[in-house]
Amino acid sequence: MNKSKIAVLNRRGILAAAGAATAALAAPRILRAQGKELVVGGAASHKGFVETIIAPVVEKKFSCKVVFEGSRSLVNLEKMQKNKDKQYLSVVMMDDPVMIPAVAEGLLDPLTAAKVPNLAMLKPGTVHMDGMWCNYLQPWLGIAYNPKAMKTAPTSWADAYDPKYKGRVILPSLQNTEGLANLFMAAFLATGKPMPEAQKDIDAGFKKLVTIKPNLLTAYTQMPQAYNLLEQGEGFMISSAISQVALERKAAGAPVEIAVPKEGIFAMPSGVALVKGGPQPELAAGYINEMIGPEVQAKLSAATYSLPTNKDTPVPAGAPTNATMFGIDWKFVADNRADWVKRWDRDMAM
Amino acid sequence: MTVKSAPSPWRDPVALLAAPAVIYLLVVYAFPLLWLFMKSLTGPGGLTLQPYVSFLSDPFNWRVVGNTLRVAAWVTVVCFAIGYPAAFALARAGAVLQIVMLVSIILPLSVGAVVKAFAWQIVLRRDGIVSQTLVGLGLWDEPQRLLFTETGLVLGAANIFLPFMILPIYSVVKLIDPRLSEAGATLGATPLYRFTHVTLPLTLPGIVSGVAFVFSMSVSMFVIPSLLIGDRFQTLATLTGRSFLLMRNEQLGSTTAVILLVLAVSIVVGSTWVARRIGGNQA
Repeated sequence: MNKSKIAVLNRRGILAAAGAATAALAAPRILRAQGKELVVGGAASHKGFVETIIAPVVEKKFSCKVVFEGSRSLVNLEKMQKNKDKQYLSVVMMDDPVMIPAVAEGLLDPLTAAKVPNLAMLKPGTVHMDGMWCNYLQPWLGIAYNPKAMKTAPTSWADAYDPKYKGRVILPSLQNTEGLANLFMAAFLATGKPMPEAQKDIDAGFKKLVTIKPNLLTAYTQMPQAYNLLEQGEGFMISSAISQVALERKAAGAPVEIAVPKEGIFAMPSGVALVKGGPQPELAAGYINEMIGPEVQAKLSAATYSLPTNKDTPVPAGAPTNATMFGIDWKFVADNRADWVKRWDRDMAM
Repeated sequence: MTVKSAPSPWRDPVALLAAPAVIYLLVVYAFPLLWLFMKSLTGPGGLTLQPYVSFLSDPFNWRVVGNTLRVAAWVTVVCFAIGYPAAFALARAGAVLQIVMLVSIILPLSVGAVVKAFAWQIVLRRDGIVSQTLVGLGLWDEPQRLLFTETGLVLGAANIFLPFMILPIYSVVKLIDPRLSEAGATLGATPLYRFTHVTLPLTLPGIVSGVAFVFSMSVSMFVIPSLLIGDRFQTLATLTGRSFLLMRNEQLGSTTAVILLVLAVSIVVGSTWVARRIGGNQA
């Protein structure tokens, strides 16, 4: 008798506990739903600056809560594709090359000056495809080098081809976004045409690029490895390095510097866009407007060692001020990348 | 000696013990594999062999297949050359030494391949220990880099896969009665004859499983080549990874994956069959 009673009580107890647990798990969602909430998708590496720089400004101004979901550009694209009928992301921060398929699939809502007044303050070339997305930052590509191994800093993209650096040059693979700069620069060096034209002469680019092979230590796909080789002095330079990464290593005390070659530097893509059919559209536009406004831009560019895209924001200390900035035609890249990678495999093989 | 025919697996309840493993493998291995295979055969207009035709008609892809098989073969050879004697040392060592040796073989397995690959990067670089030793011994005139060469890749991968060669051979050697070889000696067999006619055939099952482990792991390795040799040396596995992860070309990815699988399975199964035949003839 007693025994069975205990068993019954236990079963009840378990059910009650399960119920309580479910309620506890659901509670944050319910509580959050009471205030205005904005879900922003971005890369995991954005989490720091979104939560410490952008979110506080937006939350204060609009009295809302910014929820940041950090993954990768392609994962954000998939999240939008899967939830096309009922989006839960309002804003996406993705690399420009991934914005293109998102535009093609009708997942984005264009930015307009009415919704995002600060759009008018952006530098030329930072608003893309009639406002489908804009760049909120310009990390830039230069040449990272080890000042202990190289007594004189590189001054030109052509230095990586100099025979005295045999086996000492590290390139990013063409499958890495930062790797595209070498192909375009090779075409620029080979043809002497202005960059917008040279960038289309991929054949000339490859013909020049293969001449760098004797100088190659490796072509990396994993960036930490490239910095490891550079800092150990096995590699002397990384031709086409992201400012943010190189300067973070330098700030950490590693023997890394980044040079601004005389030809110019490339702007890396950091795009932000409105999700079509996403919740809280006004709030989402407000988030983007603050992001490209002068207050956030100043803090953001300093914290990420990048150039601001708002033309009224001063360039942070240590960043290049009057270098030529090359843009990349991402649509052209998206259409041809697979063929280029195929050719890269063949032409650059050991 | 004749063995009574085993009871049919359908009637033997012990066979049911394999059910969880069978179900697990069906769900996470067989079905996805079938999906992969179908994907590689499906074109816009239905069933097609076109992906295979276009892949195999490109000479570059044959180089990729060659890279894959050559590296895997060398890794297996190096693992065998180091692992076979090591397995004997392990099996014949005293109790304490054996524990020490086993721990030193198994413990490195808990260190990820990425960490080991980074360590090899330090060992193989121009001012690394290998280069300095060879220069110090006068074998090399000047320091050379082994990093990002095929030799470096083979050495690094062999280090990572070595336990998978030693342990299966060890488990077989452990069971061999040392007196068998002594008996051979009393009958006047030379050490070489005893090795080739007694020891080698008896260890063949261990060799076969060690070789199968190491070969199939090194033919499909992905992270290790990407760190030790880089993007300029493509193998079927790195090509497959890139097709799915970067180019989002599922058809090319599934085609290369199926080719890799077919090659690996046929080489492992074929060499096992040959080895058993040789072993059978000698026993």
